Amino acid sequence: MRNVTVVGAGKTPFGAFADQNLRSLAVTAGTKALANARTGPDAIEAFYLGNFAGPQFTSQNHLAPWISTALGMTGIPSTRFEAACASSGSAFFHAFMAVSAEIYDVVMVAGVEKMTSQPTARVTEILAGAGDSLTEVLVGSTFPSLFAMIARRHMHDFGTTREHLAAVAAKNHENGALNPDAQMRKAITLEQAMNGRPIAEPLNLYDCSLISDGAAAVVLCAADRAREFSDKPVRVMGVAQASDFVALDRKQDITTFPALRAAAHGAYGMAGVGANDIEFAELHDCFTIAEIVAMEDLGFVERGRGGFFSFEGGTRRNGEKPINASGGLKSKGHPVGATGVAQICDVVQQLRCEAGERQLKRHSLGLAQNLGGSGATCVVTILGRD
Amino acid sequence: MGVNKIRTGTVYTETVVHLAPERFAGNVPYQVIIVSLDEAGGRITARVEGERVAIDDRVVETESLNGIPTFRKS
Repeated sequence: MRNVTVVGAGKTPFGAFADQNLRSLAVTAGTKALANARTGPDAIEAFYLGNFAGPQFTSQNHLAPWISTALGMTGIPSTRFEAACASSGSAFFHAFMAVSAEIYDVVMVAGVEKMTSQPTARVTEILAGAGDSLTEVLVGSTFPSLFAMIARRHMHDFGTTREHLAAVAAKNHENGALNPDAQMRKAITLEQAMNGRPIAEPLNLYDCSLISDGAAAVVLCAADRAREFSDKPVRVMGVAQASDFVALDRKQDITTFPALRAAAHGAYGMAGVGANDIEFAELHDCFTIAEIVAMEDLGFVERGRGGFFSFEGGTRRNGEKPINASGGLKSKGHPVGATGVAQICDVVQQLRCEAGERQLKRHSLGLAQNLGGSGATCVVTILGRD
Repeated sequence: MGVNKIRTGTVYTETVVHLAPERFAGNVPYQVIIVSLDEAGGRITARVEGERVAIDDRVVETESLNGIPTFRKS
């Protein structure tokens, strides 16, 4: 295994873009990542694409070569990875492994989703496809309802409150308001976050991430060649992926994600660091409760304390452990297949000290955590300055 | 599916769905639960008929609607 660096990163803004299609979004992000790495398509030896439901959202299949050729790459392996909301995290993990194993020196990982061309009920139906179609989906479970059931049980077992959930939403909106690429650049009060339209009780509109269009891309490179491409390469210190049951009712305890704990264990081990060493993180807040469970499973706080820690301000930009300084999925937006790589772009931006008003004081070691479904796939990545 | 034994259990968690997928859009709001079953062991996801239930409530299976496992408070 050799060291691997991120030498280029690029994203589209996230939002609803009627004039953009799945491919044009991915091409925009990929082109930015190449420019950021001071290189062109000829340097790329393999293309890894994360996408959850392009075929259902847009009727287009065979997405990876459809996109890579539009970026000017031909004659290289171009492959799509699908792992629900962890699709591009999974693509990143596999790309890392190939560079680390000395199969390639330079590869691109992109993630993309185009969701806003469908009405909300249809989007809800497509997203439910990340659950178990033979059991929970058959009954009428939606994605929000699965996380609502996690929230109910977390409240029951640990005393997490409705206010705690609202504090996560308000904090992420506060951060997203400062992010020029965020979909919802609007601060909200705790009271607003408490009183949104109900979606799946106890979750309301403000507990749920957004329906978004967007793409993100990074160029990965063997560490010994990093300086050819960047003056500020970022080292992938550790990365791991793990899996678990797709159906929520198969899990013994739904207030924790075993795949997240396994991926965290792997990433910490590879990086040779522990939870306390991580200075900031981008966590997968598809729903407010998911951020709370993730900070517990990553060992940032004790089990059951995530809600209290959030409510006390521990995860704000000036807090002990800043989480989602980008605004998170909640405010930045959640184009499902783009999210994993977008989180990595956000961590890279902090490490390079390019986050503008959102720049954190401590920014030498960051973590990104990408969750698929109700915990069936998880990827944890630890990044540091090279 | 073998003998149609009436299943009983305890509510492990619950939610009330207000925003449904297309095919269930006409049913909202409806309650979905995960039930810890008394016998077979294990858990299943099910709908609730009638009165709303809470965690730790006892429930009993009713006739399933269109193959959807359905329980009510016992």
